[in-house]
Amino acid sequence: MSKPKSPARQRWRGLLPWLVPVLIVALWQLAAQVGWLSTRILPAPWAVLRAGYELALSGELFTHLGASFARAATGFAIGGGIGFFFGLINGGYRLAEHLFDTTLQMVRNVPHLALIPLVILWFGIGEEGKLFLVALGVFFPIYLNTFHGIRAVDPALVEMGRSYGLNGWALFRQVILPGALPNILVGVRYALGFMWLTLIVAETISATSGIGYMAMNAREFLQTDIVVLAILLYAVLGKLADVAARLLERTWLRWNSAYQPA
Amino acid sequence: MSGIDRKEFERVAEQGLRPANGVAVQVQGAERRFGERTVLSTLNLDIRPGEFVAIVGKSGCGKSTLLRLLAGLDEADGGALSINGKPVRGLDDDTRIMFQDARLLPWKKVVENVALGLPGKKWAVWEAARKALAQVGLADRAGEWPTRLSGGQRQRVALARALVHRPRLLLLDEPLGALDALTRIEMQRLIEQLWREHGFTAVLVTHDVGEAVALADRIVLIEDGRIALDQRVELPRPRSRGDAAYAALEGRVLDRLLTVQALNARNQVRGKVVAIRSDEVLSEVEIEVVSADGRRDSVISTLTTRNLREHPLEVGAEVVAVFKSNEVALALPR
Repeated sequence: MSKPKSPARQRWRGLLPWLVPVLIVALWQLAAQVGWLSTRILPAPWAVLRAGYELALSGELFTHLGASFARAATGFAIGGGIGFFFGLINGGYRLAEHLFDTTLQMVRNVPHLALIPLVILWFGIGEEGKLFLVALGVFFPIYLNTFHGIRAVDPALVEMGRSYGLNGWALFRQVILPGALPNILVGVRYALGFMWLTLIVAETISATSGIGYMAMNAREFLQTDIVVLAILLYAVLGKLADVAARLLERTWLRWNSAYQPA
Repeated sequence: MSGIDRKEFERVAEQGLRPANGVAVQVQGAERRFGERTVLSTLNLDIRPGEFVAIVGKSGCGKSTLLRLLAGLDEADGGALSINGKPVRGLDDDTRIMFQDARLLPWKKVVENVALGLPGKKWAVWEAARKALAQVGLADRAGEWPTRLSGGQRQRVALARALVHRPRLLLLDEPLGALDALTRIEMQRLIEQLWREHGFTAVLVTHDVGEAVALADRIVLIEDGRIALDQRVELPRPRSRGDAAYAALEGRVLDRLLTVQALNARNQVRGKVVAIRSDEVLSEVEIEVVSADGRRDSVISTLTTRNLREHPLEVGAEVVAVFKSNEVALALPR
């Protein structure tokens, strides 16, 4: 520990990470106002904010946000659930690993976005296709990290648990799952990243609602302010998902000092 | 009544004061192999109910393997192990083991760790866990994460976790090996006290002969998978380390152990005593060693003068200097 910092200095430290973004936005606004930057290329930040305000007033913004969020959550639940399940059984049973792992590793090496033409053929441009892509995108990070998490559980602790009368479900719930949790949550954070990425691509290709649809629609009418707004919304949603994952880490991994705020 | 019989009688009388809780352990011709290597070969051992047996031996001699067989964590390749006449088959509810590392679950609070695997209603289980924690002097740390505890405290929690199951056989696999000297002595006292209170049978694997003499009714030395020495410890309890009989016995077992180690090429140098400098408490023995390339060098061994008197050495004697691999200190020459 170094010498105690004064509260004023600490406040400065808290603001420091925001210095660069604020400067960039200020410069951007200046460039747009002076006319260095054509609004066809990039609208002023102020114009983006106004577009957001107007869309919020009309309610359109929330319809699209809600549609995107529902897709993300459903796809994540389906893909994450299946990934978690396979991670558990393949991590826990050698037989299951032998049976499934090679197949899954082969599928993993196909970029899931390359399947888009096929997915459109299969599902048309409805919801199912998008959910399928999101689910596929989140499946692998969760599968891989759950698998490694289970494998990385200290065998000494498992042996101890057994010799103290734990087995089956109790052993899994009290020793194996908590031991694998740090890895599983790493998988969740990766998966959240993949989730937004997949959703953006899926929504820009074919959709009748959602933020991606909003952006593509705006592009047709040269509404650059709405396009930029959509991009910013994705950034905000991504950040929120990351905050949620951190919150999970802080509550579920309370025991692990590595996951506690300094 | 012959002398031995009287001693036997006294021991039975002393044990009569303790709860008759322990089990009898019988090992007959136990064998354990790992691939080509035979770790235990036709080992026989009888342990009476409530007896405290210490197993010593150099590392890799099979002492921990024997303990794992008794715990039901491993299976013997031959021979028979039985507890109270029943053959050992897998884990037993009456047997608990304490490992070298405490093996506490870091994601459970101290009290939850102690309550691990206890059947029953949650409040009853926690109550029992709290009582066990109080017995090892850690009642006030019940709500903490294990990572907050020191090494000695963690082992005390592990001891409480073992005791809360009311084991009739407690197996201790070098549980104090990683602790500092003071904490170790404290833990030894605690283990002895709880053993007297609970009356379980205890089998302690240790590399510390002093610890074996302090705690055990019997010291068993294992060498190459067989029992090489089975030594009763007749010292009255509580034992004090300063005691002459204590030191003599420790020296005897240590001697036997070192002879065994001298046959082992690791961690030893052969040489000739060239000087002995004795002080009141400590003595130095200088040994001249000749290395493979013909260079002469000297090793100076410091030991207690009392120990030196018990094992007289003369200048010119051929000796083997043996040292523990984990207690070698390296320093740059001045």
